[in-house]
Amino acid sequence: MKQNHNNNHVREKEQFKKLFKQEHIDNFEERFKVFEIFLQTKRHVTVSELLELLNENGYQLDSSFVRDTLKLMCRFGFAKKIQFEDGPVRYEHRHLGRHHDHMICTKCRNIIEFEDQQLENLQIQIAAARGFHMLQHKMEIYGICSNCLKTRMHPMSLVMAKQGERLIIKDFTGGAGARMRLLTMGLRVGDELDGITSPSKGQMVIAVDCRRYVIGRGLAQKVLVEPRKN
Amino acid sequence: MSQKSLTIALAGNPNSGKTTIFNNITGTRQKVGNWPGVTVEKKEGIVSKYGYELKIIDLPGTYSLTPFSIEEIVARDFVLDECPDVVIDIIDASNLERSLYLATQLREIDCKVLFALNMADVARTRGIKIDADKLSELLDLPIVFTIGNKSEGIDELLKKAIELAESDVDTSGKRKVKYNKDIENSISKLRSFIEKNSEISLPYKTRWTIIKLLENDKIVRERVLQKVGDQGRNVIQEVQIHRELLADRFNDDPEIVMTDERYGFIAGILKEVFTTITKQRIDISRNIDLVLTNRFIGFPVFIFFIWAMFQLTFSLGVYPMEWLDTGVNWFSVSLDGLLPDSLLKDLLINGVIAGVGSVIVFLPNILILFFCIALFEDTGYMSRAAFLMDRIMHLIGLHGKSFIPMLMGFGCSVPAIMATRTLESEKDRILTILITPFMSCSAKLPIYIVLTGIFFSAKAGNVIFCIYFAGIIIAILAGRLFRSTLLRGADAPFVMELPPYRVPMVKSLIIHMWDRSKMFLKKMGGVILIGSVVIWTLSAFPRNIQYSRDYIAEINSVRASYNTEIIAANGLDSQHIEKKLDAAIAELEMARKSEMMEKSYMGRIGKILAPVFAPLGIDWRGGVALLTGFVAKEIVVSTMGILYLAEGEGSNTLKNALLSSDMTPLSALAMMVFVLLYLPCIATVATIKQETGSFKWTLFSVTYSTLLAWVAAFCVYQGGKILGL
Ligand SMILES: Nc1nc2c(ncn2[C@@H]2O[C@H](COP(=O)(O)OP(=O)(O)OP(=O)(O)O)[C@@H](O)[C@H]2O)c(=O)[nH]1
Ligand SMILES: [Mg+2]
Ligand SMILES: [Zn+2]
Ligand SMILES: [Zn+2]
Ligand SMILES: [Zn+2]
Repeated sequence: MKQNHNNNHVREKEQFKKLFKQEHIDNFEERFKVFEIFLQTKRHVTVSELLELLNENGYQLDSSFVRDTLKLMCRFGFAKKIQFEDGPVRYEHRHLGRHHDHMICTKCRNIIEFEDQQLENLQIQIAAARGFHMLQHKMEIYGICSNCLKTRMHPMSLVMAKQGERLIIKDFTGGAGARMRLLTMGLRVGDELDGITSPSKGQMVIAVDCRRYVIGRGLAQKVLVEPRKN
Repeated sequence: MSQKSLTIALAGNPNSGKTTIFNNITGTRQKVGNWPGVTVEKKEGIVSKYGYELKIIDLPGTYSLTPFSIEEIVARDFVLDECPDVVIDIIDASNLERSLYLATQLREIDCKVLFALNMADVARTRGIKIDADKLSELLDLPIVFTIGNKSEGIDELLKKAIELAESDVDTSGKRKVKYNKDIENSISKLRSFIEKNSEISLPYKTRWTIIKLLENDKIVRERVLQKVGDQGRNVIQEVQIHRELLADRFNDDPEIVMTDERYGFIAGILKEVFTTITKQRIDISRNIDLVLTNRFIGFPVFIFFIWAMFQLTFSLGVYPMEWLDTGVNWFSVSLDGLLPDSLLKDLLINGVIAGVGSVIVFLPNILILFFCIALFEDTGYMSRAAFLMDRIMHLIGLHGKSFIPMLMGFGCSVPAIMATRTLESEKDRILTILITPFMSCSAKLPIYIVLTGIFFSAKAGNVIFCIYFAGIIIAILAGRLFRSTLLRGADAPFVMELPPYRVPMVKSLIIHMWDRSKMFLKKMGGVILIGSVVIWTLSAFPRNIQYSRDYIAEINSVRASYNTEIIAANGLDSQHIEKKLDAAIAELEMARKSEMMEKSYMGRIGKILAPVFAPLGIDWRGGVALLTGFVAKEIVVSTMGILYLAEGEGSNTLKNALLSSDMTPLSALAMMVFVLLYLPCIATVATIKQETGSFKWTLFSVTYSTLLAWVAAFCVYQGGKILGL
């Protein structure tokens, strides 16, 4: 069991590296540290608790950054957010504990965990039938989740917006500073925006209401949008 | 008796019309422009009205009381620390929701606030209806509709402001944002923590301070630490605990949660006061932007505009320039005929008229240039230019926004350098300040026009355009170098608002031109006049020079010998001989003048400079002219006028004088390159010092630009010579 646990971690870390690099998430090194420390915890942690643990391990990070990382980890299926009643928000692992299999949505990257004894048994049988001694297995089904299928919509980052595309702001990622910036300038979740100019590099122009903004690429990456129906 | 004085501050979002209203009230002409971030420092104006002495303060625009750049800090500090009697929040009525964000924050600091719903005309055409009475009742403050650029509603605004200042309402109980119970809970716990401890006296009102501390406002935190001392640290610690608590509770930073709540509060108000009749109206600005910021045609169009600006400046400016030139000449000639020969006449004609006159003729060109820049500023194209230049500015790690100061630099470097205040990153700011002087300011224009007009007559316009263009290229190269050595830094997150396109008001353009002319003429009557007199004096004295040859005797002997020739010719061919005589005398005369000039004080200074400028193909007169340019760039032409004219053989135009000097097209080009790059004028240097706040950067800026100028001019001249030009 212990062995399995560690294996799990190694695999997780590899996945984390792959995904975060592939998505060009910034500050990778620091985020990876957060992730490592997070994996070492055994219970539901709040951001401040995790921050403390990081501190104990000699990593001086900003709480806003840690929170952002945890949110990203949720988005990519490494962590899960839970909140009991009115209490603080906590995060837990998605992968520790019992073995389970995965269905991964390629659109929203949502991960659905399932366990099917029949399937597990079948795998053992298949392996046994070929004289194969199975130690462990990994099962990942890629596809589109029911949610995405239903709405055919998914948040994408604003940088991918094309000229003339009609979008709605779904969420912001990134630190508090940048988000405050956007908020005070009047860009908020739920705002409807149109792409005016979006070159393949550099800044882009969007229009919200009767306002127009130039947004730098870095910042645009942190704005999550969805196509908007008329 | 002395009137009662009141301080009224104008605050509001950028580009909401604060300065327009300020100018209306005070009758001044502070810079107005259609892009966010025109005003970068606070401006004061005093008027006497309704029996009061009103001190009106125009503040830079800000989106919130959480500042990001210097000019926003200025605005916030004023409102917080100077406690004006009334703050007028200038609100863009066509953009109510966003504007109310700052308004709710102003309300929170418990000062007397008054709303001016400006741009009422824009709101109306967009079909927006605002129930001002209701809004006034809901927020419990006076509201006035205004149209800044048509002076509507200004009087009422002032009256209401005075009324408000004189009323003794208690602002603290007034309606403001109430946060959700967890936050309010934290606020009241912190409040009792602070009140328990009598040692703690906060720099600002308690509730507001707590809110700002919860929002992690760095400046407020510092102030608290400063003012409260040791106990301050305890307060901060306590706040930190609550911050973590709230963050865990809402899974977000408290400042974000609180901002959301403020917007919630605003949404509640809007629901009651705000209606639009025509919902889906087309936004014209958006459609224009689809073209002008287009990824393919935007940039070429921008280059065309810049090219057109310079072409207009030269080709259109040529005609009035020639009229003025004729006028100056006529004046000089008639003065020559009127006055008896004297030192004073010499001073007037060869000093004042040659000096001031040779620059003043460029007024039309300069006006056209400023007119074009004003068009960029007033239509709203300025911000688009910034966006379009972003890709290029990114080569040096700057955002396109840095191009706004650079474009302004074509007009005058001083406001351009001030405009860098809107850049958030300190390093970006310094970098922009270092490269902005390479944008040739309008004062350098006369030098280019004189030199190209004489040496490149047919291609003058294009040569000047190339010089300007070279300025931009060199700015970018230099910036690239600094970025990778002295001013390393990463990209800061960037967002900038694009203003709506507006049709410029003819009246304000005319006023702007008029102001520019006045400024120019004042400069002519001031520093250029004084400079001209000084230069003339230095070049006309000492009077008693030890000549190396006895010119008078030589002239007499030449005359005598020709006279005998004439007599010998006996009437035959005498005209021809007389001509020869005149030429011989003129030659001697010129040699005399030239020696006199070289032995004058100016000449002695020039001699010292000569070795520095010789490798650039610039003679000592050019060198002196360039040196005087430190005072003001216009003076370069004045100095050239005085020094070259003094020597010209009776020619009364600088053109002839220059053509008969040693200057060649190549050395003229080298000189222009030098002018393009070398040390900025004294006013600019002072501004650089003020804005960088560092003697080191100022010194650096001055030396590197001058060294660069020398090297570049050297390369042009020597390279050209090798190529056989
Ligand atoms: N249509 C319309 N335009 C206005 C009104 N008031 C001001 N403007 C224009 O709005 C633009 C911005 O005006 P400014 O006075 O420079 O704005 P500001 O608030 O001082 O801007 P910053 O100094 O950048 O913060 C200018 O082009 C004005 O001509 C108005 O009531 N109606
Ligand atoms: Mg202003
Ligand atoms: Zn799993
Ligand atoms: Zn399985
Ligand atoms: Zn999905």
